[in-house]
Amino acid sequence: MVMTAPIAFEGVPLGLHEGPPLSLAIAPRQTVALLSGDAGGVGPLGGYVLGLERPPAGRVTVFGTAIADLPARERLAFRRRVGYLPAGDGLIQNLSLRDNVALPLRFGSTASPREIDGRVSVILAAVRLRDAADQRPAQVTDEERRRAAFARALAFDPTALVLERPFDGLTARVAAELLELARGGETAEGARRTVLITGSELPAIVQHRVDQVYRLARNGALQLEPA
Amino acid sequence: MLEPLSGLGRSTARRLSRLGALARFGFDVVRSGLALTAAGRRVALRVTVNQVRFTALHAIGLILLLSSILSFLVISQAVQELGRYGATDLIGTLMVVAIVRELGPLITALTVAGRSGTAISAELATNQVLGEVRALEAMGIDPKQYLAVPRFVGSIVSVFALLVLFDVTAVATGFAAASLSHMSGPRYAQIVLASLGARDVWLTVAKAAVFGAIVGVVPSYFGLSALRASTAIPVAASRATVASMVGIFLGSALFVAIG
Repeated sequence: MVMTAPIAFEGVPLGLHEGPPLSLAIAPRQTVALLSGDAGGVGPLGGYVLGLERPPAGRVTVFGTAIADLPARERLAFRRRVGYLPAGDGLIQNLSLRDNVALPLRFGSTASPREIDGRVSVILAAVRLRDAADQRPAQVTDEERRRAAFARALAFDPTALVLERPFDGLTARVAAELLELARGGETAEGARRTVLITGSELPAIVQHRVDQVYRLARNGALQLEPA
Repeated sequence: MLEPLSGLGRSTARRLSRLGALARFGFDVVRSGLALTAAGRRVALRVTVNQVRFTALHAIGLILLLSSILSFLVISQAVQELGRYGATDLIGTLMVVAIVRELGPLITALTVAGRSGTAISAELATNQVLGEVRALEAMGIDPKQYLAVPRFVGSIVSVFALLVLFDVTAVATGFAAASLSHMSGPRYAQIVLASLGARDVWLTVAKAAVFGAIVGVVPSYFGLSALRASTAIPVAASRATVASMVGIFLGSALFVAIG
């Protein structure tokens, strides 16, 4: 049986770099990091995956579907299958961290308010945010904001996750803890989720838990780093 | 020689294009509102209630102040001037035509545009700059449904409520002003009530709907179309306020024109 890659890039140019376009299929349950020294290289890839922007050339698919090609309503619905942590967290400033995590569920699920509250409490406990849950983003630390953004990305318990610069400014210990949460634990076949990380650098302890690390080389090509 | 004409043409084309985009945005907001799911409606209702709290409830004091000052000035002057010619009966017409029908809706809408319209555009532009709008889209939430629809509905409800408050306050203050100018209270009430018609009620509802829609849609459009740069926030707020005011004046003139 041929399995569709959860996330696949076909001939997508990497920013202003003149290297070969990116063609890469991320296998299910794999954690893959695409790193470049500047934001222009791999920075836009997360947006391409979610269909927030269209790549200048090539095609990006999620579970075989190019989200950007879907009609507006279907595009919004499809995005709920993919967890997304944008660079800079993207938390809604006038909502508490709890409401930030609950928002996608309240808007996009058919669960009752009670079920949603229960699910949000479980996620907040998992990211160790119970004490700060009722604070707004401006009232908490950078680390707590990032934890809340992770919790929100996991709200629908997606099978694929896209994380943009997820560990910037965090200690290696916190980064490792959040990566384990993102992977969703281990099964006999590997991690529960497929995770794509884009950014400039990974803490060494995190790099050990990533299945493949690609780095943008000087010639503009993404090269697989040796394990 | 043709350069100034060409520049004028470009500027006009740019303005018309923006007007078209604004109309399309307004249409999309209404369509998005109608397409809300039950879950989305619950969330949007919560945001709408908040919007009404900021736009209407927090503006009550200001509307009371403006309405009572305007009414006191107009009626006390009118009683004196019209009294000289024995035409005090015209006070009712003056109150209804000048204040209830024209100045009330105009001042209420301008107040809401200046106070809440500016806040809406600045808030949405900040949402845009901080990447919150993009994050909403990534979560599968239509930013128009979450951000623009509640502000659109909230503004219509708020303008209507404040307009009724403005008119009631104006009539009540006029009563006080007339009494101070030696006109009996019952006489004043009789004149004003005789001048008020069902048409004024419908006109109030129609103006509240149109001006509320302008105050809700125009700032949302400028806020959500802001560039992702901090300098875009004051630009969006300023453009939204000016465009809303122009829209309100044009709307008011249109109401007079269609009679």
